[in-house]
Amino acid sequence: MIKLENIHKYYDSHHVLKGINIGVDKGEVVSILGPSGSGKSTLLRCINFLEQPTSGIVEIGGKRVNVESASKSDVFALRTSTGMVFQQYNLFKNLTVLQNVMIGLTSVKQLKKDEAKKRSLEILERVGLSDKLSHYPAQLSGGQQQRVGIARALALNPEVLLFDEPTSSLDPELVDEVLATIRAVADTGKTMFIVTHELNFAREISDRIIFMEDGVIIEEGTPEQLFTDPKMERTKQFLSKATRNN
Amino acid sequence: MENLLDINFLIESFPAIVSRLPITIGIAVGSLVLSLFIGVFTALIKIYKVPVLSVVTSIYVSFIRGTPLLVQIYLVFYGIPKIIYYLQIEYGWLQSADVNSIAPEVYALLAFSINLGAYLSETIRSAIESVDRGQFEAAKAIGMKPTQMMLQIIFPQALAVAIPNLGNMFISTIKDTSLVFIIGVVDIMGQAKILGSRGLAFFEVYIAVSIVYWILCIAVERLLVKLEKRARRYERGIAS
Repeated sequence: MIKLENIHKYYDSHHVLKGINIGVDKGEVVSILGPSGSGKSTLLRCINFLEQPTSGIVEIGGKRVNVESASKSDVFALRTSTGMVFQQYNLFKNLTVLQNVMIGLTSVKQLKKDEAKKRSLEILERVGLSDKLSHYPAQLSGGQQQRVGIARALALNPEVLLFDEPTSSLDPELVDEVLATIRAVADTGKTMFIVTHELNFAREISDRIIFMEDGVIIEEGTPEQLFTDPKMERTKQFLSKATRNN
Repeated sequence: MENLLDINFLIESFPAIVSRLPITIGIAVGSLVLSLFIGVFTALIKIYKVPVLSVVTSIYVSFIRGTPLLVQIYLVFYGIPKIIYYLQIEYGWLQSADVNSIAPEVYALLAFSINLGAYLSETIRSAIESVDRGQFEAAKAIGMKPTQMMLQIIFPQALAVAIPNLGNMFISTIKDTSLVFIIGVVDIMGQAKILGSRGLAFFEVYIAVSIVYWILCIAVERLLVKLEKRARRYERGIAS
């Protein structure tokens, strides 16, 4: 479904990703954990070329792209087969809630307006925001904005959803509504890639957890394996510290 | 008794002056439209650091900022016909253009567009760059093409940021159009000068024309406030 092969990323001489290999099956929910600066967000952003990976291969839904020779249409294909949810929501500030969800359908998928509207309304219903259609992002709470962000990503019906620390900018009491929305999406069988600091959530929702540090994968396994019986000392250390803080 | 002002002459000069208002407004609005194209184009050249063109843009902006508008108007007025004539004689280009039939208004429009374009260039560039990076990333992430991203997401937000500056420059341009009489365009200022020399009442006509400029600028300022509110409506608490 998704395959990342030997992904490297350099910022000048700074080696951020040091040969990442990950395969994700259809419908699988994979969380990436790790301390700040471990490269997990960069990895996520390399999948849809918001960061240009330095070398390696990205494959999504049968479309195989060697990043060093990626053409514009390759990048376009990767971007339309992924949907991204951002830490800072990044809703289009000049558009209403409904327009935010519709714009991908009308501009990118070239759907007719009423068709795009119908789909967008369905999706906004799913994230519980049918009553905010004509609100602008600035009029919404962080949690509501992030749910619109999820709706916008879902609208294009991507093969995989990428979540980049979706709850890290939220007030604590707003985290739950967003996590509930993500959980509901996971229950529909969507393939998901989640970078998060919410360990309990990751443990509960994920089929598999990847622990990264310093641009390499230290360990991966089922949540049970990683949380109850981590093989690497570093994983144990991180999880025990991080769960204590939770 | 000596009168400070010939009030009747002043009042009677208004209709003639106001009748040239379309020329003043036409040059100001026309050059605003053209210069917006120049401004956006050159701003994008700078933002995307297009080789060669971005150097040309820097020189253009620097030259316009570093030379008086009056000189630029003369350069356009005397330079363009010479260049066209030269191209016709040397290369046989532009044969259909009759240099002598080009109205001075056209040169005025060109000169002001070139001038305002350079000033707008920097304003527009900084407005575009002030748009949050996340907006660009979100647009790219859903697969929008650069043009779609610019037209639907970035420009509307940049415009809201730029309107106060654009407005100030537009108002300056309205006032600067008072220079066009030097190349023979009879705008409101030109008309005032004609009336003034006819009646030897310069103080009166300049008071009259200054009132016309003042009212015009107040009207434009009001319009700009409304425009800005509209462009920024998404930042405030009102749903449309």
